[in-house]
Amino acid sequence: MSAPDRWLDVKATMGDRRLELGRHVGHWFRHSPRRLLHAMSYYKFASKMIGRGKAVLDVGCGEGIGTWLLAVENGTARGVDLDDDAIRVATANYGHDPRISFACEDFLEGEPKAWDAVVNFDVIEHVLPGHVGGFWQRIADSLVHDGVAIVGTPNVTSDQYASPITRAGHVNLYSGDRLAEEMGRYFHHVFLFAANDEVVHTGFLPMAHYLIAMGVRKRG
Amino acid sequence: MSDGPATEADAWKKVTDRFDGESIRFGSHWSYNVYNDPKRLAFVLSRYKFVSRIATKNKRVLELGCSEGLGGRLLAEFATSYTGIDLDSEAVAVARRNLPDPKYTFHDGNFLGVRLGEFDTVVSIDVVEHIERDIEHQFFETCYHNLGEDGVCVVGTPNVTSEAYASAASKLGHVNLFDGPRLTATLKRYFHNVFLFGLNDEVVHTGFTPMTHFLMAVACYKRREILA
Repeated sequence: MSAPDRWLDVKATMGDRRLELGRHVGHWFRHSPRRLLHAMSYYKFASKMIGRGKAVLDVGCGEGIGTWLLAVENGTARGVDLDDDAIRVATANYGHDPRISFACEDFLEGEPKAWDAVVNFDVIEHVLPGHVGGFWQRIADSLVHDGVAIVGTPNVTSDQYASPITRAGHVNLYSGDRLAEEMGRYFHHVFLFAANDEVVHTGFLPMAHYLIAMGVRKRG
Repeated sequence: MSDGPATEADAWKKVTDRFDGESIRFGSHWSYNVYNDPKRLAFVLSRYKFVSRIATKNKRVLELGCSEGLGGRLLAEFATSYTGIDLDSEAVAVARRNLPDPKYTFHDGNFLGVRLGEFDTVVSIDVVEHIERDIEHQFFETCYHNLGEDGVCVVGTPNVTSEAYASAASKLGHVNLFDGPRLTATLKRYFHNVFLFGLNDEVVHTGFTPMTHFLMAVACYKRREILA
């Protein structure tokens, strides 16, 4: 068999789905492609903390590429976002799979369900400081008793390097101390991690570009 | 510049004049490790730094198997207190000599079945693999019973998949090696939540567990009763 034929045999196993990057991830791809790497690394870290056979809610899922990683690695995942165009892209890309679902809805509305884990990356810095208490409480209310909350957000110390488009949306930036203190009001345990680019670590927090806090054992 | 040091030696002396305290002397265990395989010092310090960052700030910390207190120094940095226990009395004497601050307490003896108090964090690294499997429950029970209700337990041990590459001396002591799933499942009997990390050399990560050289499990949310 010739090399091109062998490759056709390989390709025949791949199916014919086509992934679409929407306006948001497309913007990353065009202007800062490594941003996609960083986001996937955060999601991979969350998936490892959560473990197998879990149902995960991804709040502010955007185009759902991270939600997809959670569904594949953890068992099932649901992504919610206020951006209906992003949810359309997410559903088009991944909605065929029974492990995943998406909805354009407000996380704060309706009766909370009990998830094994609630994940949100790059959400809380967009929540107005006056609303953030309700946001944390809603995360806690959306978890089973031994559920895990994973919240990622840029470190306030990195704001000076942020692009204008990034800064435009940031109304509530955190330091590591503030993130741990605030989350600690809703969870008995807060484990604080840091990330620089795609590397998740436990280094000196003021020099961390990004913060990832894990809350365990909700209070109350 | 007229007030500056006249020579480089004078300039350097301004630095060395600020060094305080006596020199630190390792005991036979850690001296051997450094002479035999110095990069191991990086690996071991990295394990302790990881624990110090995620589970020791303002905590009362207990270390089971503290040896010469090398890791204890890192575990104590952000903690309110540190207690170490080890059955190697020479190592404990070294720890006491090197770490005289009242923040540190060292006990000389076998920790299995011992209750030293109610701690916020119990840490044990490179220990459980030395305890025979038929009594390993005593190890985990000791971790469990020394923790308060909001306590965090951290257990580090080499991955069984790395045994093929271990030195003869290491193999001699390793009577009970774990893989990731067994370490997680065992701790799950004592705690509701277990988070597994891996290390290759000094790098802590969450990569593919079978290829991880060393396992570090962080457990919290104590169960009211230990599962059978």
